[in-house]
Amino acid sequence: MSTLLRADGVTMRFGGLTAVDRVDLTVDSGEIVGLIGPNGAGKTTFFNCLTGLYVPTEGEVRFRGALLPPRPAKVTRAGIARTFQNIRLFAGMTVLENVMVGRHTRTREGLLSAIGRGPRYRRTERESRTVGRELLEFVGLGGHARETARNLSYGGQRRLEIARALASDPGLLLLDEPTAGMNPQETRETEQLVCAIRDRGVAVLVIEHDMRFIMNLCDRVAVLVQGSKLVEGAPADVQADPRVVEAYLGAPQEETA
Amino acid sequence: MTATELTQLLADGLILGSMYGLIAVGYTMVYGILQIINFAHGEIYMLGGFGALFVYAWVPGLRAIPLWAALPVLLVVAVAVSVAAATGAERFAYRPLRGAPRLAPLISAIGLSLFLQQVVFNFFTLPGSSMGVTAPVPFPQFETAPLDLAGVQVSVAGLLTLALAAFGMVALTWFVRRTRTGRAMQATAQDPATARLMGIDTDRIIVIAFAIGAALAAVACVTQGLRLGTVSYNMGFITGLKGFTAAVLGGIGNIQGAMAGGVVLGLAESLASGALPHIDALAMFSGSVWKDVWAFVILIVVLLIRPQGLFGERVADRA
Repeated sequence: MSTLLRADGVTMRFGGLTAVDRVDLTVDSGEIVGLIGPNGAGKTTFFNCLTGLYVPTEGEVRFRGALLPPRPAKVTRAGIARTFQNIRLFAGMTVLENVMVGRHTRTREGLLSAIGRGPRYRRTERESRTVGRELLEFVGLGGHARETARNLSYGGQRRLEIARALASDPGLLLLDEPTAGMNPQETRETEQLVCAIRDRGVAVLVIEHDMRFIMNLCDRVAVLVQGSKLVEGAPADVQADPRVVEAYLGAPQEETA
Repeated sequence: MTATELTQLLADGLILGSMYGLIAVGYTMVYGILQIINFAHGEIYMLGGFGALFVYAWVPGLRAIPLWAALPVLLVVAVAVSVAAATGAERFAYRPLRGAPRLAPLISAIGLSLFLQQVVFNFFTLPGSSMGVTAPVPFPQFETAPLDLAGVQVSVAGLLTLALAAFGMVALTWFVRRTRTGRAMQATAQDPATARLMGIDTDRIIVIAFAIGAALAAVACVTQGLRLGTVSYNMGFITGLKGFTAAVLGGIGNIQGAMAGGVVLGLAESLASGALPHIDALAMFSGSVWKDVWAFVILIVVLLIRPQGLFGERVADRA
């Protein structure tokens, strides 16, 4: 297995606040890695450092060996896609159009060819449409292609976000709390979906609060507390680690007294 | 007032309105993406007309052939000049102010407006004259007599305005809805940050929005020159304001609404100057001197009753 993503000493400061503090993390190809931690631990900030939204104050991120470009559009082109903690679809566009926007970096369309409706335009459009429909089928939204995105159910919108992210043919998919607000059944379906994504050859880095989800899916788990990485290891080991329990629940009474 | 007279007023209003609509699209596209009002758009419009006039005046071959044959050249040059000015404005007057308070690009736009007017005023000269264009300058005219459609007179330039506006809107609608770049534009308008994360180069999309608006404005200015017979360095001020009004009427950010708003405004102006004289109580507020008053009265009334514009949606899904 080769290393896909390597974050080395990533630090993000906002003025005096250190939101992410010297975090090292690797994701290998074919892996599902979990990122957990209490609220405000810096998980999403760390994600933003991996997608070019923030440029880390210190440290570096390498993807497939190359330094991450500092602009989100170029990061997507390099092969990292993401979903959001709060759904951020293009609500006024159709479900299929949303996925086709996700395809943006993988298509070329000469402006002149588009104006003249040349063969290249038609080929590009057809290809985007085919890939889009295939991905909607994959996430279970096959019958909803023409609906407006805002009319999808909550779970449907989450799955559409995943389809849109996959449309850019990523090597690594970042999921920011994919099951937030879902009922247990939707959560199980999302679990299966993430497994299927890995089987397509896409590595996944996932922020999640649902422990069962993490335990079932992840090959490795890293725990972020107050911006620093506290523990990293196999899910079972991490769950049993007293430091992790302490970070979430506070220290047992007798020790703090 | 006879039915023919009324139809004449409606036809005139439709022609004037579709020209306003062409200008309004530029305001609405830039607003839809950047939430700024490009108040220099009126000057971008004016520059298109002067670009066309300039080649017509200085390239002898063009005057030797019939105007309809020279027209494609005039249009292409007009579009090129306006697009160059608009993309330049975006690069040097707006982009550096991205993220600045809303007021900053507005002031930048006003400065740019005056700058562009003065550039034309001072440096543009016609053959045989060393003076700047301090007064309105004649624009080439079609010699053909107006067409008589069942008693309604429509000039060739008027028909051309309608045809170009219709073509422009169909092409633009298709572009926005059916092409990759158009989809990227919609995505950028709805959520620029997410659009960037989807790999869309939003800076490029913004430039394209400015360019499309400028191209349509340039076409509008050429048709205006053909219809009225003159262009002037300050023509962009009031016409630009009308275009902006049309965009607001149609619901700013809504491309089809902009054209519809333009037509509503054109019809209102035409009826105000032509139909009101026949209504005794309002006769004293009628005639062409009052048409601008009525245009802006309509704007104010619409803003009071339907602030989102006639065809705008309530802004709900911008978060």
